[in-house]
Amino acid sequence: MAPTRDKFTIHSRAVVCQDVELRGDITIGAGTIVHPKATIYAIVGPIVIGSNCIIEESVIIVNRRKEIMRIGDDNLFEIGCRVDSPAVGNFNTVSTRARIHHTVRVSNFCIIGAGCLLAPTEDEVLGDYTMVYGPAAERRKWSGRGRVQEADLRRKHVEYLREMLPKFNRVRRGDGM
Amino acid sequence: MTPSVQYHCPCLASAPVPPPPHLPSSSYSFHPLHTLFFCEECDAIRCNRCVSVEVSTYYCPNCLFEVPSASVRAEKNRCARNCFMCPNCRNTLTVVASDPPDTGDGRLTVPVSTVGEPPFYLYCNHCRWDSAEVGIVFEKPTGLAAQLQRYEDSAPDSLEFDRLKEHFEPFLRAASLPSSLSSSMAHPGSVVHPSSAAHSHHLHSSSITAAASAALARDIPGVGKYTPSLARSTSARAGRDRSVNKDEMAEYRSRLDITNASVVGGGGGDADVEFIKRVEKISSVASLEQRWGNSWATSLRTRDIRPQRIPLHSKRSKRCPVCTHILIKPEQKAQSVRYKIKLVAANYLPAITVALPHTFPTPETVKRGLGKPASASAANDRSNVALHPGESYSFHLALTNPLYDPIQVRLATPRVHATSSSSGTQEKARRPPFGVSIPTSTFTVAAFAEAWEYDEDEEMYWTDEEEFGGVGSNRGSRNKEGKSKAKAKSVGVLEKRANTTIVGGEVIIGKEARGRLKFIMLVQYTYRSDDPVPSESGEGGGADTKASTNKAPETKTFEFYTVIDLGEIIPTKLDGDPDG
Ligand SMILES: [Zn+2]
Ligand SMILES: [Zn+2]
Ligand SMILES: [Zn+2]
Ligand SMILES: [Zn+2]
Repeated sequence: MAPTRDKFTIHSRAVVCQDVELRGDITIGAGTIVHPKATIYAIVGPIVIGSNCIIEESVIIVNRRKEIMRIGDDNLFEIGCRVDSPAVGNFNTVSTRARIHHTVRVSNFCIIGAGCLLAPTEDEVLGDYTMVYGPAAERRKWSGRGRVQEADLRRKHVEYLREMLPKFNRVRRGDGM
Repeated sequence: MTPSVQYHCPCLASAPVPPPPHLPSSSYSFHPLHTLFFCEECDAIRCNRCVSVEVSTYYCPNCLFEVPSASVRAEKNRCARNCFMCPNCRNTLTVVASDPPDTGDGRLTVPVSTVGEPPFYLYCNHCRWDSAEVGIVFEKPTGLAAQLQRYEDSAPDSLEFDRLKEHFEPFLRAASLPSSLSSSMAHPGSVVHPSSAAHSHHLHSSSITAAASAALARDIPGVGKYTPSLARSTSARAGRDRSVNKDEMAEYRSRLDITNASVVGGGGGDADVEFIKRVEKISSVASLEQRWGNSWATSLRTRDIRPQRIPLHSKRSKRCPVCTHILIKPEQKAQSVRYKIKLVAANYLPAITVALPHTFPTPETVKRGLGKPASASAANDRSNVALHPGESYSFHLALTNPLYDPIQVRLATPRVHATSSSSGTQEKARRPPFGVSIPTSTFTVAAFAEAWEYDEDEEMYWTDEEEFGGVGSNRGSRNKEGKSKAKAKSVGVLEKRANTTIVGGEVIIGKEARGRLKFIMLVQYTYRSDDPVPSESGEGGGADTKASTNKAPETKTFEFYTVIDLGEIIPTKLDGDPDG
């Protein structure tokens, strides 16, 4: 299959730095922050990223499937993580250098701990509030207590970056709104 | 597995000869250099096994509070401030406030004010365990240890222990009356003769012993009666001496019957068996790791595990076992990582590292063009890392001098290994499985100078044959069997650079050899001594010091043993060498 033509749809309130690798059909929602040196590859199907996400330095997000890869709102992708997951819900955190294969779908309020590898051979859906942590990628369910305060902190994080990043980086504009 | 060098500590043994290195038990005698101490008084190596240790500070590793030793016991060796461990993953817990009430429609109403509200709970940032899961919440975020204390104190084991303490309290108090303790310590023999108890302090001193023996002599239900006549007569006589027998102890009645301890979460017994029988998910059983650090036996159920106060750490001083001089003493403050006294062996003995140039080109060989093309071979040579039987390999020993004066070094390989090494393998190899050649003549390692550290780029090589001509003289003898992958000059001084001298050695591995290639190396070095009197107090220190006879009188020689581990000998069938 021929690779899709580059087509970037970046919301006017999104902040996507100039020094970002974008490939394929990509939509980035309002308020989402993409740091320099991040890579988003829509190799086959398109990638749609919701609003108020943070994509940090050297994060790699890849869609290898034909279907649209949908990433919801208020997700945090920390430095150097790798996400091939075809679906990511809202308010998830993928910590530094964690890796998620294309067999895993992530629901809401999940946290993939630093350095954890999620690569099941069978397709799998991580339920809401799943915590993956530790060197053996152990799992448990979070009670969800404190999520309102955490979500509030996430919003403040986004607001701060939206203000500060353009002061020190060139910001990229999409083809359309 | 990289080649390694470990140093021998004789640990006051009368014979300083190290054990054969292939014996598993020998690992107790060999240590990495950085773990060793050096006693200047005894002129001997000391290791963590033979030093005497005393605690200088207790502190909490989380809040760095220095706990006075008086309160360590009362606080049960754990931090009594706000430091807790996650019962699930043992990360440090933090105190957080609860979320404001939810709108309940499932959709988060953000942004909100970040001001949380009571109740507060403990929360793990790593695995997101929170104490509300096990029903622990706090009205205010301070003094949590005191608030949690009731959970800890209500543990059945804890209550039982308190009851025991209470029970023994009167006897301990009686025993610690001013005159009694000192005299019982001073005359332990007096306890044996209660009949001669003419003085009051004898009566007191015997009370603990008598109480204990009375308790031991008491009948145990279900156990055959055992009343030795001696014990009976002693206690009878003791009882006759006094109107009220203060040695007799009331019978202790336990709070709980041990047979149903597991019903109340004490661990063990039928209740646990029942629980295990009905287990559906492995995660509902708390892992051993999660229960290991608890002070008391706890329930097997994951949902019952509680946050623990963080165990205290200690800073320790270490003394020489012979002369009791302090070898290492940390600064008192918990925040400080410095030492007041630090007599570490690395400041006295030459540091030795070993490398196999055929597996990984050392920076030195790369620079000098001895190695293969660096980056390519380093990556591809993984297969070549192993040592194979029937081959010969050269190795490099780098000796670095920590002293401010040059040292004269002499190496030897005593035959400790050769006689007994065959027993380590299943094969009945009669011949020594390998032979080692190292330079046997004396060579110099230059003095340490701070300046060396700054001009790394200006390398200084003295590799001229005139200076080190005789050193590699025995290199040719072994080469008949060896592959000439080793360079012509493989045994001898290869390079001198700053305060490091690199010498080459060679090992020839027999066809029957298996296991790890380890051998003992004796290192003798002569240095200029500031102290003209040779110390002979290091008896049993093993590492002998003797004033040199054939040198200038102000030099001293120190010797120590090392074990060189070159790696695993792996038999290969791929090897199609003509003479292999
Ligand atoms: Zn020792
Ligand atoms: Zn503490
Ligand atoms: Zn935890
Ligand atoms: Zn000493």
